[in-house]
Amino acid sequence: MPGLRELQSDFLAAILGDDAAAAAGARIERELVAGEYGIARGLAIYANNAEHHVSDSLRKSFPVVHRLVGAAYFAQCAREFRREHPSRSGDLQHLGAGFPAYWQRRHGDDGYRYLADVARLEWLYEEASAAADHPPLDLAKLARVAPAAYDMLRFRLHPSLRLFESKFPTLAIWEANRRTEQEPELIDLGSGGERLMLARKGDGIALHRLTVGEFVFLQQIVQARGFTDCISAAEEADVGFSATAALEKFVREQVIVDLVEHRFADPAPWHESAQ
Amino acid sequence: MHAQAASHQGAKARSQSMPAAAGIGLRSPHVPEVLRTCPRVAWLEVHSENYFAAGGAHVAQLERIAESYPLSLHGVGLSLGSTDPLDQRHLDALCRAVRHFEPALISEHLAWSSVGGRHANDLLPLPYTEEALRHVSRRIAAVQDALGRQLAIENVSSYVEFASSQLSEWEFLAGVAAESGCGLLIDVNNIYVSARNLGFDPDLYLAAIPPAAVRELHLAGHTRVQSPGRELLIDTHGAPVAEAVWDLYARALAYFGARPTLIEWDTDIPPLANLLAEAAKADALLGAVHARLA
Repeated sequence: MPGLRELQSDFLAAILGDDAAAAAGARIERELVAGEYGIARGLAIYANNAEHHVSDSLRKSFPVVHRLVGAAYFAQCAREFRREHPSRSGDLQHLGAGFPAYWQRRHGDDGYRYLADVARLEWLYEEASAAADHPPLDLAKLARVAPAAYDMLRFRLHPSLRLFESKFPTLAIWEANRRTEQEPELIDLGSGGERLMLARKGDGIALHRLTVGEFVFLQQIVQARGFTDCISAAEEADVGFSATAALEKFVREQVIVDLVEHRFADPAPWHESAQ
Repeated sequence: MHAQAASHQGAKARSQSMPAAAGIGLRSPHVPEVLRTCPRVAWLEVHSENYFAAGGAHVAQLERIAESYPLSLHGVGLSLGSTDPLDQRHLDALCRAVRHFEPALISEHLAWSSVGGRHANDLLPLPYTEEALRHVSRRIAAVQDALGRQLAIENVSSYVEFASSQLSEWEFLAGVAAESGCGLLIDVNNIYVSARNLGFDPDLYLAAIPPAAVRELHLAGHTRVQSPGRELLIDTHGAPVAEAVWDLYARALAYFGARPTLIEWDTDIPPLANLLAEAAKADALLGAVHARLA
């Protein structure tokens, strides 16, 4: 008689429909009993449930991709994705992490290249939504920093902050297709790329378009660079960059949430999960 | 009683703070309305995994809701019956959620979902053998030790069963409660669905469950499909509770006494008022039990 692990391995292979499914299915069916509807029909319920849970979770995390490609093609791709990347967690909230890369592999070289970027934006939105909370910056703390200490100043970003860069008008595509009650307007894919910041604001996630300088400035903070280095890099990338305006904007948007006067080298980035 | 059972007596006292009245499964489409209207319902249950996030609006909303209602955290992903090692990351997340929300009840399923690191994300049946009984009881005890709280374990709907089973499902469930010291969450709809599919007497099931272990009851809708050869019932959680399940619920109350009872609805989710109406039906039956005891 097979042991518990052997039974579970065959049962799972049979319902996930992988390469070993046929042989595992034949073995497990010999170990099972069902009503008059039959063992195969009983197993099919579990197989359908497993497929539905994955597809439904992906549909909820990637509503814009779902709308862009249509329900039937999305379901087909969700099945293919599940075969390539079986779920590794009992918590389905993790499932979509590899989905943007799936679209890149599937459509990275054709006229639907933008789908991978839309999927990437949607996943960053999910990550930002689930990130830890953090109170806004205490402005008195900033006021206490002497100008001579700016060189040693490092900022800390809100845990929900995510940076996004695309050569397509991804935010325009995303905004047009989030409003499901109306037909989306046509968007020219050649109308230019975008640099975005996603961050928690109130009960939601705010998405902001950034200038090159602002984007580089935040990238440098993510990489734990000092304040003056952040400014230098941003000014090098964008002659119009204003450090004062950027600082005011990112404090107001509660993106910069803390600061330290850093006297010694610190190899650890301030905010490792920001991209 | 197993030694592990005694260590959770303190937890039992805490679980009694859940009223023996009807609650509803809180799903995201209803959260804004619950926050706005604070409907008259005794308690709420959420899926634990939906609140594993470190922060954000969903967590903040449940914090506000928990100020007004007793909560139950109901897990679907711990894969208690799996022969893989316990997923420590999942267990840590559950422990964090329990510390954060301080639920009156915590529950999971008598099932497995994963093996070899791959997850079906569905509740799969166990063979009811002595090997499986020892295995799943050890795992439940380990989870209870990590939580410092008692778990209530729920019976699942079944579409197949193992020929090698040495025990009936009800003997197995009662054995797990005795061995691990866990409580039981008896899903009346699941008993009905499995009984119809696999051909057993649901009253035999109810009669074999130790009433003292029963912490909670579940009610939900199922779907009938005509399969070649015979009708098959599927536990869809997408319809009103069937009349036959209400009848079985009334008999469950006769066996167990009044218990916190949940209305679950997970697919084709209707307006909140429909769930509240189903909860009112459960409350009417619970009221009759309370009146008999008064």
